[in-house]
Amino acid sequence: MTAEHLPSTAPSLAKLVQELNKLPGVGPKSAQRLAYHIIRLPNEEAFDLAEAINAVKRNIVFCDECQNLTDASPCLVCGNSQRNRDQICAVEDPLDVLALERTRCYQGLYHVLHGAISPLNGIGPEQLKIKELFRRLTDNSVKELIIATNPTVEGEATAMYINRHLEGANIKVTHLARGLPVGGTLEYSDGLTLSRAFQGRQEI
Amino acid sequence: MPPPKTYRAEGLVLKNVSFGEADLLVTVYSREWGKVRAVAKGVKRTSSKMVGHFEPLTVVRLALARGRTLDVVNQGEVAENFGGLKSDLPNLTKGLYVAELVDGFGSEGSANPPLYQLALDTLANLERTPGDDLALRYFELHLLRVSGFMPELFHCVECRSPLEPEKHRFSPDVGGTLCLDCHPPNVQVRNMSLRALKVLRLLNRSRADSLPRLEMPAPLAKEVGTLLESAVLYWLDREIRSNSFLRHLERAAKVEIPS
Repeated sequence: MTAEHLPSTAPSLAKLVQELNKLPGVGPKSAQRLAYHIIRLPNEEAFDLAEAINAVKRNIVFCDECQNLTDASPCLVCGNSQRNRDQICAVEDPLDVLALERTRCYQGLYHVLHGAISPLNGIGPEQLKIKELFRRLTDNSVKELIIATNPTVEGEATAMYINRHLEGANIKVTHLARGLPVGGTLEYSDGLTLSRAFQGRQEI
Repeated sequence: MPPPKTYRAEGLVLKNVSFGEADLLVTVYSREWGKVRAVAKGVKRTSSKMVGHFEPLTVVRLALARGRTLDVVNQGEVAENFGGLKSDLPNLTKGLYVAELVDGFGSEGSANPPLYQLALDTLANLERTPGDDLALRYFELHLLRVSGFMPELFHCVECRSPLEPEKHRFSPDVGGTLCLDCHPPNVQVRNMSLRALKVLRLLNRSRADSLPRLEMPAPLAKEVGTLLESAVLYWLDREIRSNSFLRHLERAAKVEIPS
């Protein structure tokens, strides 16, 4: 049932259902359930939700340096004087920064590209924050660029594109190792991963 | 003929899109059933047994189950992943161009084994001789042939008279070569040099596994490329997206970084 079919006695409810329905993965039925749940919430909880949405839309900006989403530019990582400024790790997505931060093994800075080059979807370097990355690399303070795009065709294309443009520049360009996932099995790994894992084998 | 409830297929992955949390909606061009769209569940998780199987330009052997709207991949293994092709950016982009055209010309529910074989042969050729665009020109011409849109290269499509040297033009709208005397109304006609016509005829009688070694001067290569592209675009009837990135790569000047 879509919002238009709801009784017209509650246009504000219909509007809420209609708006919720626009969220990814939320169909008309889920939208109705969520809307009725919100109605039953205590006032302050419902207003907190509304205020949270409001605040996000008002406050979130791109960090001038790393292009990550932040409340204030520079973001907490770029503004942190303890971080190593020699290294920049380029990732596709803000969520990738969170994943890498959880590992606690990287102390350098980030750069969020906001996507990957995808020729099949017409996404080229102009649509990404690649220009901004190259601009950050011009001041000679960065010694290493770690490309941490996803090991997919798009991610690899992005990595190769960036690497091509930095050939001859005085910057070490690395990418994350390809290999076997922890808990995986050799039998089921695809040949490409297995051959990369073999090439990248290390002394134990 | 639609496939049975459960079926096997060997095919080339053309593209994938995210579907839900960890699923992929993959488009595969199969030898047995033509274009197949199916959901591969959980394959974005690194713990999945089929992780990495559904990257574009991978040949996979699949066991599928027919669903009400979308088919589901039950099992899969990689038959060929064209690793060499994927490790070079211009070559990878050319491979994606092949995938995009197979997606455009292939149809769901009707097999076209020659088209499948052509795609695999072309990817193998690109992998073997990177930087040789003749493999792409061969692909474009034979893509038109196996799809039933082969342009005429020996007679005038209007008056059916055999072509005389240097007296011909080309028009994808009417389906191939025209003599100088015929002027069908409202069609786009391109000039065509004798050498370009000879290259097309040569490609027409070549085989994918033994492409001729041809040193074409740049203007001739460009002419052949433009002629074939116009014919492909005429039948595809939409823009080829991977083309714009391919052009970008050709143009791209290096960003100046002081060392």
